[in-house]
Amino acid sequence: MKDQQVTADTQGLHFFGVMTASISHELKNALAIINENAGLLGDLALLAEKGRPLDPQKLTVQAERIRQQVRRADDIIRRLNRFAHSAHEGPASADIHEVLDFTLALAARLAAMKNVSLSVEAGTPVQLEVRPFQLENLLWLCLKQILATAPEGPSSVVFAASEAGEEAVISIRCDGVPLTGTVTSVEEEGHPLLAELGASLHLETDALLLKVPRRS
Amino acid sequence: MRVLLVDDEEELVSTLAERLDMRGIDATWVTNHHDALAAVEQEDFDLALLDVRLPQMNGLELKRLIAERRPEMKFIFLTGHGSEEDFKACSAESGPEYYLIKPVQIEVLMAKINELTQS
Repeated sequence: MKDQQVTADTQGLHFFGVMTASISHELKNALAIINENAGLLGDLALLAEKGRPLDPQKLTVQAERIRQQVRRADDIIRRLNRFAHSAHEGPASADIHEVLDFTLALAARLAAMKNVSLSVEAGTPVQLEVRPFQLENLLWLCLKQILATAPEGPSSVVFAASEAGEEAVISIRCDGVPLTGTVTSVEEEGHPLLAELGASLHLETDALLLKVPRRS
Repeated sequence: MRVLLVDDEEELVSTLAERLDMRGIDATWVTNHHDALAAVEQEDFDLALLDVRLPQMNGLELKRLIAERRPEMKFIFLTGHGSEEDFKACSAESGPEYYLIKPVQIEVLMAKINELTQS
């Protein structure tokens, strides 16, 4: 059990590293856009000093672009803060849809790099007792394997959650991504996490099914 | 001077292109490798500014494909990551001085563009 915990923690550290690197990249992009828009305002001011008339509409557009990027950066930092806290939080009651929404928000940029769009089907709340960070990590392992086999063209991955007795079931449907081999790959890499969560992964006709006990 | 800007952040490249235009550089921007390759097939550029982490194809791969078509072109890499791995790979391609980390000050970028195109 202790070795299993160590391995799950090591896996968690890796997951944390991948996600925070991606988040830092997003933040850098927001800062770069703010930098260019502020720079453009400076350029326009210099031109105005040389006699070129200022266009108030242009200034308004630039100012709004800066505000949009500040909001974007604020959203990214909120996400980072929630993610950082989830890493040290113990088991708690959570609605799977919220965990899915959050995990997909974390992974959206990495998926977009592979031309894959992510979404969660709306549904009635499915509560379970879980360490959110571990479930996020397991979902990421599934998604990582899917992204690794995604073809060049655009594709989509749709997550849905439901209850089946004492289990919560997360289905992962992929449009244009072959799922053969995904179960084996996730089981090989994620066995400590699957064991910690008491979860199992199955391949059905057109979907991966991740089954997690609702009370650990 | 003609410069091609490639970055998946549209607002970043479009604004940067506008600022370079103000400084006498004819800048064209695109947001993916397909459009970048199409642009160099159709037009002549002196230099390309490439984001290292582009969707589907990284900036290094794109640089090699562009260089095959336009061996005379110069390259500057732009990144938000700044990882040691990216730095080493990009430095080997274009020299460490042409690997810039976002956000970049326009004066620094202009100096790099001038250095490269006048060398």
